[in-house]
Amino acid sequence: MLELLLADGRTPSGGYAHSGGLEAALAAGLAAGDIPGFARARLHTLGRCQAALAALAAGCRTLEGLLELDREAVARVPVAGLRAADRRLGLGLLRTGRTLWPVDELLGAYAAESLLTPRAVALGVVVRAGGMEPRQAARLALYEDAAGVAAAAVKLTALDSARASAWVADLAAEIEELAEEACAVVLETLPSPSVALLDRRAELHLASPGRLFAS
Amino acid sequence: MRVEDITPHDAPATRAPGATRAARALRVGVGGPVGTGKSSLIAALCRGLSGELELGVVTNDIYTTEDARFLREQGVLPVGRIEAVQTGCCPHTAIRDDISMNLLAVEELERAEGPLDIVFVESGGDNLTACFSPALADTQIFVLDCAGGDDVPRKGGPGVARSDLLVINKVDLAPYVGADVALMLSDAADRRAGRPTLALSLRDRVSIEALCGWVRRILASWQDGTLVSADPGPPAPHGHSHPAEPAASGHRSG
Repeated sequence: MLELLLADGRTPSGGYAHSGGLEAALAAGLAAGDIPGFARARLHTLGRCQAALAALAAGCRTLEGLLELDREAVARVPVAGLRAADRRLGLGLLRTGRTLWPVDELLGAYAAESLLTPRAVALGVVVRAGGMEPRQAARLALYEDAAGVAAAAVKLTALDSARASAWVADLAAEIEELAEEACAVVLETLPSPSVALLDRRAELHLASPGRLFAS
Repeated sequence: MRVEDITPHDAPATRAPGATRAARALRVGVGGPVGTGKSSLIAALCRGLSGELELGVVTNDIYTTEDARFLREQGVLPVGRIEAVQTGCCPHTAIRDDISMNLLAVEELERAEGPLDIVFVESGGDNLTACFSPALADTQIFVLDCAGGDDVPRKGGPGVARSDLLVINKVDLAPYVGADVALMLSDAADRRAGRPTLALSLRDRVSIEALCGWVRRILASWQDGTLVSADPGPPAPHGHSHPAEPAASGHRSG
């Protein structure tokens, strides 16, 4: 049940303000019909890395280890604005996590000491504090990525929201597979996906007037 | 009730658990529909109070950072004292259901610029049902204006009925738009069970001073630990009465 709680968009963490780069992609000409492909491409690049980070954080029992993961995560995000957005999402999630599991020592220590606080690491810390497994952290990271794109698509394009849910459902098997793979990753094999187009668009998006989503 | 007589009213305490009085800035939420003058009202408050108090502002923008830019251009506060939160189409969510981004912005503002006396949190323009979470705002001002129609106070809603201060803005425009300010004030009084309403014109220094005075008194009660703010809560029921409904339903306002 706790995994459902963390996956639920009604559990506060600030995710509603982000489109996972979809708003910028649509502005750059992505066709509405290509949105499922966009979400899938994110899963296989950024998602793979986020899932591994979340799983590693969920399996980590030391503050030093978590701060190392912070640095590894941030080193993979070249756009300052995206690092800032990622940090805000991480802090939002930690805030909720600390309300849910206030006595977890490592969660408290991480909240006090982490300066970078990328969302994937924060997610892993919160998942472990809730007594869940690394695989659940990986699955949550992947699900959140796809569901975030789908939710933004409903606001940005003429789309029945049930169709957006169906897109996410169609990714279920791949998400399970990627979550499984993410659990086999160690620090030395952490992927470094190159998503230059997303990065470039994110920079343009952050500078553009009239955008709806923060990223 | 005259604004000069306003004292915090009796209502159940809704302060966030663990919040230490005066250990942080008083957080004043400013909400209301689009175009009623929330940003200009905050600019006027900053002009009136920045000589005596340390102020910060967090704006919530639907599109980019328009309101933050407006306030920075007004020159009423150093630019670092104004922080913008983006709400991704969800202005109501950001101040009520998922306040994490706003809380982070307030906390970062206080850390970078503090200690501050007051942080004003401006909501994105929304409809009549939008109000602040008591975990985000210690007290809230709801802003309507004459140009939006003099029937709006009668329509009610949580902000109209139970905000700590209701402002009827742009009363100087009333003759030009055919609005009846006296009617708006009496409809508001009917809905607000003794809570204060202020008729405001940013061209009328006396009304601006009344607004600043209200904020000063709220700050004083916050600092001495006696401030009790009512959570406006869910939308008020529509106006005509249902005889079968118990009188003390807890939601009825007017």
